[in-house]
Amino acid sequence: MQISIASVDSVIIYFSKEISQETSLIVKRAYSILKELDNKNFIEIIPSYTSILLTYNINIYDFKTLKNDLENLLSEIKIDENEAKSIITVDVYYGTDVGLDLQDMSDKTQLSIEQIIKLHTSKLYDIYAIGFMPGFAYMASVDDKIAMPRLENPRKKIPKGSVAIADNQTAIYPKDSPGGWNIIGKTAFELFDKSLESLSPLSIKNQIQFKSISKEEFLAQGGVL
Amino acid sequence: MMGFEVIKSGIFTLLQDRGRFGLTHLGVSNSGVMDEYASLMAHKILSNSLEDNLLVVVFGNIELKAHGNTVMSVTGAKCEFFVNDVPLATWENFKINSGDTIKIGKILEGQRVYLAVKHGFDIEKEFFSNSTTVKEELGGINGTQLKKGEFLPYKSSENFINNRLKQDFVPSYNDEVLTLRVVLGYQEDNFSQEEKNKFFSSIYEVTADFNRMACRLKGEVIHSDLEGIISEGICFGAIQIPKNGQPIILLKERQTIGGYPKIGSVLSIDCFKLAQRKVGSKIRFENIDIQTAQNKVKEFYKTFE
Repeated sequence: MQISIASVDSVIIYFSKEISQETSLIVKRAYSILKELDNKNFIEIIPSYTSILLTYNINIYDFKTLKNDLENLLSEIKIDENEAKSIITVDVYYGTDVGLDLQDMSDKTQLSIEQIIKLHTSKLYDIYAIGFMPGFAYMASVDDKIAMPRLENPRKKIPKGSVAIADNQTAIYPKDSPGGWNIIGKTAFELFDKSLESLSPLSIKNQIQFKSISKEEFLAQGGVL
Repeated sequence: MMGFEVIKSGIFTLLQDRGRFGLTHLGVSNSGVMDEYASLMAHKILSNSLEDNLLVVVFGNIELKAHGNTVMSVTGAKCEFFVNDVPLATWENFKINSGDTIKIGKILEGQRVYLAVKHGFDIEKEFFSNSTTVKEELGGINGTQLKKGEFLPYKSSENFINNRLKQDFVPSYNDEVLTLRVVLGYQEDNFSQEEKNKFFSSIYEVTADFNRMACRLKGEVIHSDLEGIISEGICFGAIQIPKNGQPIILLKERQTIGGYPKIGSVLSIDCFKLAQRKVGSKIRFENIDIQTAQNKVKEFYKTFE
């Protein structure tokens, strides 16, 4: 673990130099520890793949004191393999009418669309970071067979609810946005919902299971083609 | 109901407060006022709470009609400011009577004019804040900029004691070169001493790519030994150095995580000064150690206690 200055009132805690599932679990554990302190002088806590950015109240902490406290608090984190994971199932309509890059992916990978769907729904995904826009969760890792580089020409508008792949990551666009990920389907699941007290049903602690549904089911759930 | 009727909205007038905190882990931007000096001073002149909201006018040409008495203040960029077509001074409070027309015409020096009323506007917060983040459709009125015909309610205020900021405390926004103090950090070890020297001895220019999210500069190219980094949390003032070597300073509406190498961060209270600079303004960077930096920031906020 390494704690560096980020700005006058922020530090960044690095847990590893490389992305791995183990590192992600350590980040999540550390994030939980920091959140559970419910310390009002910790103003923002942003977990990401290998790090946590912490913005703090400089009237209470100076950098050295905070660094010391954090080292004591976080240096010996143990991952609890049995920690209850809450799995969220996301229903996806994988059709070429909404999965704009499905056919292209099938051509490139020599896999049938059915095989791509099977591979995408066969794994439980961890959330490594949330950002880019509210509710945009970076999930990994998709099967190597369907890992796909970003589009050379990003789209000006990716429709809300699009399920997409970039390299070995997968994500859902919470709202219309420009983007360069490969779109393979669409969901009616809301990731950024102002009517929820938590604003988003997702947190980095969740795991995501995608489930293939028919066009009819998708439409019945309020999905828009 | 008492409040301002929006006769002319200006092009991109936003309701803001100090920002929306505690949701960055979901990718929600802090948002908030770009220049805390001018905005907090607008509140101080009115003896408001520093957490109150106000309007930020960036392109001038706004006209409001008062329904009900209040007290207001205007701070920030130098501008044409009229009440019932009588030109008035800024950085001062004024009694506004029902029926008065308030106009801000051209902006003459600086970028952002702050217009505050006693107790702030009575608009419901969205996720702890009134700050408008248009791309997130959060805050303000319906998550977007002010529109003609809208109504900004306020509580009536009759008590008026004239407060005017001493001239010494009114900032000017036209200095030849603005110095931004930088706390080194993040990936600073990946920038060689030579690159750091270049960074601290060059003059940069503010480009047209300057908005609530970030300010892109042009000037001496800076390199690190990194191609990119694993995406990580970005704080206010962070200085990203992308592949083209031209610094980008991340501001209030920055995205929460990103993957460009960073040499450190501009001191928050200097970002407030940057917020008032126009395209073409000259910038230089100066190194400041963390302890001195924290003392400077504490001093800054003491002014408003």
